[in-house]
Amino acid sequence: MKKHVSVFAACMTALTPFCYGEITLNGFASIVAGKTLSSDETLYRYDNDVSFEQDSLFALQAASDLGDGLSVVAQVMAKGKNDWEPKFEWAYLSYELTDKVQVLAGRQRIPFYMFSDFLDVSYAYNWITPPANIYDIPFSSFNGLGVIYNDSFGEFNTSLHAIYGSNPENINLNDAAIESDLKQLTGAALTLSRDWLTLRAAYFTFEHNIPVFDGLADGYRAFGQNEMANQVQVSGDDAQFFELGFQMDLTSLFVLGEYTFSEVKGAPLGETENFFISIGRQIDELTLHITYGETKIEQDAITQNVPVGLSPQLDGLIAATNGLTNSFNVQSQYTTLGLRWDLHPSAALKFEYTSFDDENNNFNDASVFKTALVTVF
Amino acid sequence: MKLFKLICMTSLLTFTSVTFADVAVIVHPSNNAQLSDQQIAKIFLKKQKSFSGQQKAIAINLPMKNAVRDEFQQKALNRSASQIKAYWAKLLFSGKGSAPKELTLETDVKAFVANNPNAIAYIDNKNVDASVKVVKVF
Repeated sequence: MKKHVSVFAACMTALTPFCYGEITLNGFASIVAGKTLSSDETLYRYDNDVSFEQDSLFALQAASDLGDGLSVVAQVMAKGKNDWEPKFEWAYLSYELTDKVQVLAGRQRIPFYMFSDFLDVSYAYNWITPPANIYDIPFSSFNGLGVIYNDSFGEFNTSLHAIYGSNPENINLNDAAIESDLKQLTGAALTLSRDWLTLRAAYFTFEHNIPVFDGLADGYRAFGQNEMANQVQVSGDDAQFFELGFQMDLTSLFVLGEYTFSEVKGAPLGETENFFISIGRQIDELTLHITYGETKIEQDAITQNVPVGLSPQLDGLIAATNGLTNSFNVQSQYTTLGLRWDLHPSAALKFEYTSFDDENNNFNDASVFKTALVTVF
Repeated sequence: MKLFKLICMTSLLTFTSVTFADVAVIVHPSNNAQLSDQQIAKIFLKKQKSFSGQQKAIAINLPMKNAVRDEFQQKALNRSASQIKAYWAKLLFSGKGSAPKELTLETDVKAFVANNPNAIAYIDNKNVDASVKVVKVF
């Protein structure tokens, strides 16, 4: 690897004699093992057999300062759950327009959440992975433009991160990879911080297309049920996402929390509300933390006006639609208890226990225990 | 009670033996910037990129695990070594910035500052000489 980089660096220097051409390589990794506590439970893709795949990952980041405020940075990540297949998480050009304004062009993280920017860098936070109800999102990056404006007003530091772009990548819905197309993703995140307090708010809108529902829609159209067809089809539907977050970093005590709301208007995917609150205490190399979170997804049934018993085929469509809307009715909560031990300047050992409770279906109740070695290099 | 006193005494002793050094924040002798503690912290966290005027600021760190650096981070940045490491990991791996350049030896740090009008660094106060200007002692 080093050889490749130096050859590449040499080429860069040879091609552009006045460019700095120096490439810095950094990386991070999480080795995570976990299992559920009893034989019939599954949670967050873990079951009762110890698995090293689900949350383990390895990433390399290459950055080069091209001078005059221009730089390029790319991150390649291999995740155990994707069979360790390396993938460009993001890659962009960054230009410092002024001391306060940075423009990013290329593939980047969507600044949905407080921890979006370093979503997979476990070393940078106390959990092994951020709270799954909020952070286990179907997509996290986009292609387009971002502008970051940093300023300070008296004791307050502000950062405004606005984006515009699209994301044609497949998404993970109910644990299956399906085709998705996100267009006109527009929005911004505002962060205010003062001493030990950080406040954050974000709002994004986009147009969502998920072709997997087209078959269902076509079925309804064949029976002249055009209104139903439009309701189940996710084509050019307007989606919106809203987030609020806070962090309080006192000397050895910290409290943080986040709330999100999202919906795709006119699509049977439910209105989703999530929140978590986390409290922790750091004593030298040890950090003990506890997190409580809730998820509420609500989706009304939409088949009331479709006649039942007319045709077995139509009845099949109704059953499929009801199954879909039912799956978007969730009321669940979890508690996570964790310990982080900074055993080395570049590595931490973490232990985490999560108890998950599904109010609508006790069958999904489960507990998982995970341990992780996380590092940055 | 005796044991309690003993524990207090020893912890006091270890405490004082760890925080022995006064850390001097140094700049080039030609640099007339007046820096508040908050500005010093901001420059070393790269939240502020220039001195009071338009002059660009280049912060220099000692290596991780260096006692003077630990002292500086604790007193000037009010953060532990692991908090600092996590802070830079956040910025680095979001592609938004990188930690200040590190020089291994205090003599190299001093020489760098003495020769660079944009530099700002910290060394053990007892190693300060006329080649650099002290803006603050922590």
